[in-house]
Amino acid sequence: MNPPSIGLLVEITARTLAVCLPALAISLAIGLPIGIAIGGRRFAGRVPLVSLINTGMGAPPVVVGLVVFFALERNGPFGSWSLLYSPVAMVLAQVVIALPLVVGITLAAVGSLDEDWELQVRTLGVPKRWRLWLLVREIRLGLLAAVITALGGILSEVGAVMAVGGNLEGETRVLTTAILMYTQMGELEIALGLAVILVGLMLVLAGLLTAVQQSGRA
Amino acid sequence: MSEATLLSVSDLCVELHSRRGSFRLTADELELNAREALVILGPNGSGKSTLVRTLAGLERPTAGRVESAATGPVTMVFQSPAPLAGSVAHNVRVAFLGKKLSGSERRARVTEALERFKIDHLAEHRAATLSGGELRRLALSRAFALRPAVLLLDEPFAGLDADGQAALSLDLRRAISDTGVAVAMVTHDLRRAMLLSDRIAVLIDGKLVQVGRRDDVLERPSTLEIARVVGMTNLVQGVVGEDRRGDLAVVEVDERHRVATPTAFTAGTRVWIGIRPEHLKLDIGRGEVDPIGKGIVREIVNDGVSVSVGVDWAGSELRTHLMAGRGLARTLELGAQVSLSANPEHVHLIPIRSTSQMA
Repeated sequence: MNPPSIGLLVEITARTLAVCLPALAISLAIGLPIGIAIGGRRFAGRVPLVSLINTGMGAPPVVVGLVVFFALERNGPFGSWSLLYSPVAMVLAQVVIALPLVVGITLAAVGSLDEDWELQVRTLGVPKRWRLWLLVREIRLGLLAAVITALGGILSEVGAVMAVGGNLEGETRVLTTAILMYTQMGELEIALGLAVILVGLMLVLAGLLTAVQQSGRA
Repeated sequence: MSEATLLSVSDLCVELHSRRGSFRLTADELELNAREALVILGPNGSGKSTLVRTLAGLERPTAGRVESAATGPVTMVFQSPAPLAGSVAHNVRVAFLGKKLSGSERRARVTEALERFKIDHLAEHRAATLSGGELRRLALSRAFALRPAVLLLDEPFAGLDADGQAALSLDLRRAISDTGVAVAMVTHDLRRAMLLSDRIAVLIDGKLVQVGRRDDVLERPSTLEIARVVGMTNLVQGVVGEDRRGDLAVVEVDERHRVATPTAFTAGTRVWIGIRPEHLKLDIGRGEVDPIGKGIVREIVNDGVSVSVGVDWAGSELRTHLMAGRGLARTLELGAQVSLSANPEHVHLIPIRSTSQMA
């Protein structure tokens, strides 16, 4: 088998980012408010809800992929949308994987604040939107940890995207599924090259986020 | 609510439920007036913090009303102030979020507030690195930077060493005096209460049981429990006798121990005789005024500043304080016989209403 061209590598890498970054953005957009809301409140049913989120943080990606597959397949509840084996299906699966990570880490960050933190700020007469800004500022290290963890989970995930994306050349093939495919085909050099690109991508993105996180400690 | 009243409470009931159990606070009537310092005293778990949190609007009354006529901010400093991420100056500036103030006004207020509590040299330090005492000064600076009409303080000296408490209480007293802010402060420290209060409110078992001017509450507690809370530790049982010394009734403890005091109680009334330690005088001579009898020195505790003396009097231990290194404090020895005296105006009688109040 001929090695993939530079153009193909760029295409696979670009598709990987095109799937992972929207999945990350959606997970953060949904997960951060939910994490902040659950972390700062006491209500009936909170313990089972947090337990469910913690379970979701450790859910096997391949099982998540299977669940999303059943939801999107022709006879599933969302079969009419014809999303299976598309990048959108891969984004959905990755959101399901990343969301519990974002919610869980965010609510832990909020929960680590002093019990009276919100009340102390409220008694200073700080308006609600500024209190939210202060809260985000206060837990920003925890939030960045949530972003890094979610990014790592999404970028390195293979089971779910394989199940709902199918690793179709030119359509749903991303770095992880391509690595798996070339490994199974015995094209270990190509698989290794793709793995280097994947790890490099993770290093650059996580490195940038870590730099931002650690600058907050100064 | 009078014109001078900034916060008032009437027929208040607050019920709190948690996994640890339920708690109920009741207060028939309580007012905080302009330019006054109200200290809320009570044993642990009596509801002091709940009351002050209710005044701050952080607890919702189950019944009754909390009304505010304050035209300026009502703010609160918590028992364990939590520093926000960022510098000390940032922590003070947070108080201005959402408020229309110019940059120069903000800077001036931050500087003034930090100087007021002597932490201006820490302005650019990270708040998270401050000591417990510095954190309290920061919380107070932030509260005063708001220029509040009412300041609510929950145990502002808790966890500080004696020197830290003394220094902070003096700075706080000066700040209260300079700004004229009305203050309601929870404490269980009688010395701070005496230093800072104009009026005192006493809570026992979740009920507001006495409110009044500082000296009235300290010297005229209405029940035995309140007497113990406000530091009237010399408490001995007696009976109002038939004899009188002019306008004074004579209260008999036993045949040799009698106390004269003005009272409206009729002869035969069983009472607790209460004398604050600072109002009990010791003498080894015979020329004392207002004698109440002789006693034997059983304990002398000298901390270098004051000497606490325990005297066996009529089978009870009475306690008084002397200045260390002066007069009698230099020569007093254990076992010495001393004469005790107390101004009749400073002898307080509390009627014994039930057998449970008897020793």
